[in-house]
Amino acid sequence: MTADVHALIGPWAVDAVDDDERAMVERHLAECDSCAQEAAELREAVWRLSDATIADPPPRLRARVLHAASRTRQSAPVPEPEPERRPEPKRLRRHRGLPRLRLALAAGALAAVMAVVGGLVTWSVMRSQEPGATDADRIAAVLQAGDAEVGTVTAEGGGDVTVVRSEAMDQAVVVVSGLAAIGQDRSYQVWMVEPDGQVSAGVMDPGERSATMLVSGLGDAELVGVTEEPAGGSEVPTSPLVAGVSLQG
Amino acid sequence: MPALEQLLHSTALGDEQAFATLYDEAAPRVYGLCLRVLRDPAQAEEVAQEVLVEIWRNATRFDARRGSAGAWITTIAHRRAVDRVRSVQASGERERRTAYGEEAGYDAVAETAAVRLEHRQVRRCLQTLTELQRQAVTLAYYGGHTYRQVASLLGTAVPTVKSRIRDGLLKLRDCLEVAR
Ligand SMILES: [Zn+2]
Repeated sequence: MTADVHALIGPWAVDAVDDDERAMVERHLAECDSCAQEAAELREAVWRLSDATIADPPPRLRARVLHAASRTRQSAPVPEPEPERRPEPKRLRRHRGLPRLRLALAAGALAAVMAVVGGLVTWSVMRSQEPGATDADRIAAVLQAGDAEVGTVTAEGGGDVTVVRSEAMDQAVVVVSGLAAIGQDRSYQVWMVEPDGQVSAGVMDPGERSATMLVSGLGDAELVGVTEEPAGGSEVPTSPLVAGVSLQG
Repeated sequence: MPALEQLLHSTALGDEQAFATLYDEAAPRVYGLCLRVLRDPAQAEEVAQEVLVEIWRNATRFDARRGSAGAWITTIAHRRAVDRVRSVQASGERERRTAYGEEAGYDAVAETAAVRLEHRQVRRCLQTLTELQRQAVTLAYYGGHTYRQVASLLGTAVPTVKSRIRDGLLKLRDCLEVAR
């Protein structure tokens, strides 16, 4: 039975199976990592076969499709599979006396951040392969914004977290540098804490202690905080803040 | 092509302008593939419309961690086109279509590819397959045939066809990857 499924992955990738076989293959792919890997690779090769059949559709199709789309409700996203054991939703406690943002009037403060970010920008750029505005450009734009505000805090266990925010741009740059060493099975995660809970702003690579990230859409976030989580991050924080910068002026 | 991924993400947020741009990027691929599989412009247009609206509707379900936007879009298009072929076959038109279409086979594809310089790569990679692998893959993909139909068209044993399709796709994958 299993052997049959394996022999069907090739035909499945080009839709040369019947409905029952397709269902059987897809059930197997959900359970077998190595087959799922091969199937994904075959799919990436197969679609390129359509390079050879590109053809201009009749011009009228465009208006029809756009019109139909404007009247079609979009599906709800498929929910992420539930983790086996879901931690109790925890709220990050708001701390008193956290450092607050200050208007970066002193060019010195911004220059200091630039020095840190400048060194780390490579990190972001390497991960963004699209042409045009790179993360580096967007980070620089926030740092140079006329209304840029800066706040820095020393993290528990060492290192610091610096937040530069432009309210006008509704963006912030979060610079995490030299936090306490963690194993490859742990990640630092950055959170935006809002009045009714928190949202993840980004998860650093496992074991990584320094990063620069651009956060867009600050909304009514009150605090930028960092926690240590299992590698890959958590849906809700599972440990107390190692650092937090208040966004309230 | 990261641009497609980004357009899909914006589309998932209900951005109609992003979807219009996505249409311009993806429609020739979707329509062309439907046309190749269905070999009938009217049906290809109809199915392409369904596919493109489905892309709008289900953009929320695209997950970049599971594959590229190009693969996601093309997979939807190919499945829809193949479903249409099968329902046409089920309704008894099969003999006529087969008689009309089969000669086109691989040669027509190669010819189309030849006039498009930008598609040399796929064509070149198809050439790295053995004759049987190439026929099995192209009859299945461009012809919309099941592996059983491919076996009978080629007069080859069914298990052989299954493995030739897989072997051919693995070669294609390696060739496209190396060329990237
Ligand atoms: Zn398996």
